Amino acid sequence: MGRKPKRLIYLKKRFKFPWRILGLYGGSILLLLWSIFPLIWMLITSFKPTEEIFIYPPELIPRHMTLTNFYALFSRSHFLSYFMNSLKVSILTTACALVLSVLGAYGLVRFRFRGKELLAQLVLLTYMFAPIMIVIPFYILIRKIGLVNTHTALVLALTSFSLPFTLWLLRSFFQTIPLELEEAALVDGATHLEAAFYIVLPLAAPGIIATAIFTLILAWNDYIFARILITSDPLKTLPVGVQDLFNQTVVDWGMIMASGVLITIPVLLFFIFIQQYLIEGWGAGGIKG
Amino acid sequence: MGFLLLLPSLLVIGTLTLYPVVYNVWLSLLNKHAFLPGEKFVGLRNYELVLKDPQFWMSFKLGVIYSLVTVVLQLVIGIGAALLLHESFPGRNFFRGAILFPYLVPTIVGVLLWKWLLHDTYGLVNYTLQALNLVKDPIGWFGQDTIMISLILVSVWQFFPFVFLTILARLQIIPPELYEAAKVDGASALQRFFYITLPQLKTVLFIIILLRGIWMFTKFDTVWLMGGGEGVGLYIRTLPLYAYMKTFTYWQAGIGATVAMVMLLIMAGAAAIYFKIYKVEEGI
Repeated sequence: MGRKPKRLIYLKKRFKFPWRILGLYGGSILLLLWSIFPLIWMLITSFKPTEEIFIYPPELIPRHMTLTNFYALFSRSHFLSYFMNSLKVSILTTACALVLSVLGAYGLVRFRFRGKELLAQLVLLTYMFAPIMIVIPFYILIRKIGLVNTHTALVLALTSFSLPFTLWLLRSFFQTIPLELEEAALVDGATHLEAAFYIVLPLAAPGIIATAIFTLILAWNDYIFARILITSDPLKTLPVGVQDLFNQTVVDWGMIMASGVLITIPVLLFFIFIQQYLIEGWGAGGIKG
Repeated sequence: MGFLLLLPSLLVIGTLTLYPVVYNVWLSLLNKHAFLPGEKFVGLRNYELVLKDPQFWMSFKLGVIYSLVTVVLQLVIGIGAALLLHESFPGRNFFRGAILFPYLVPTIVGVLLWKWLLHDTYGLVNYTLQALNLVKDPIGWFGQDTIMISLILVSVWQFFPFVFLTILARLQIIPPELYEAAKVDGASALQRFFYITLPQLKTVLFIIILLRGIWMFTKFDTVWLMGGGEGVGLYIRTLPLYAYMKTFTYWQAGIGATVAMVMLLIMAGAAAIYFKIYKVEEGI
């Protein structure tokens, strides 16, 4: 007698259609297809020989995987030189922006001085200027002092462009480090500099690394500053170099997709490093774009 | 001491960002060639020329269409994705991470891979549409009627993760008690969304719409790389492209600066109206 109702409940549960699960996974998979599939298609195309790229209907799996496209990229274009230029510009930009903004953000968090909040807000305001507003007059000015077509000009422009963001991001990281730790060090006889160097920097290291990677991605992805400031082929960075490669000849889609894959790899590596800081970075304004 | 630490940053921002922007104001009052030396002060004449230029208004119109449509679509997809991936289920974090990729991939890569997907003969998009019998003949995605649609598609793909992540971050700090109380009171899922979630998201939505609106209206690289400019590209030549081309294609640096200035003024005006509407709605 007593068992029957129980079994009924059990049956009812068992046969309930999993609408929720279906909806959640269905929706997520659709989103995944929309965001990731274009990139996967790029990867697939980059490994196909030319005759397979141009078959109809298109095939998902390459019949003969090949590295020809990558080989062509290195032998028939200046891809390697663009890659090295991008690396150089991104690293220098990140180094400059970090040194400046670590000092600046520390100053903003640990010291009181007149007009501090106003300055911080002014910095945030400059963050609102679109690159196109800055880069045209920047070009005219840089031309006057003869720096056009140098990596110096590009690094300066990108440093200045990313500074407002790195300052605000680092400021928010420094704010989470308790002042007491530093004060304790000062009481023990450390100088301000020593306290900052041995106490604050190690504690802020994750934040500094995250900021560095945000800046690296920004510099690595930049198109507009490099387009306007760099004119000679040996100095071009990846986005500009590859764009010109695309426009020059009959499009070799395999080679272009291979270049896309190679440009994307460093970004993916950075991304894996910063995944955990992404939300915090967003809180401080996100990557501009 | 604190000020001294901040000084180097201020100097860099001041000379390399602020000064060029101020110089741009001066430039807009000059008749100046982009490369040749020599310049002549012409007062507000450039502004008069620009405001009477039908090409300028064409670009303005295209820019408004582009930013309105892309912002709305980014919001729809971004909010939908955030609500979905705010639910807890196994594998959620994988999906969360994966859908951020389009935002992190360099613009050049996003544009080139979509150009390949949208290729008229060998593109996967046309193939899929034909295979599903949605269209009979392949669509030319880079014709004068379609190029804006392609541009919007690529832009929404590239930028919706910004909306997604910002909304998700905000959803995570809504106090769960609010939902529990509503459930006890018998509110349906739809009611919970309209009476709890949406009001909580109001401020962050205000900021997202403002930022995305500004960024889409001044977007240069995606539009330019999609082929904006001349020929068919005229049909996606938004204001930033027009300013760029005035300076670097027609070498009229003064006019280029003026277009950029007018663009800034339009944005400031739009932002002011936007703030006002928001305040009226808030009842302040």
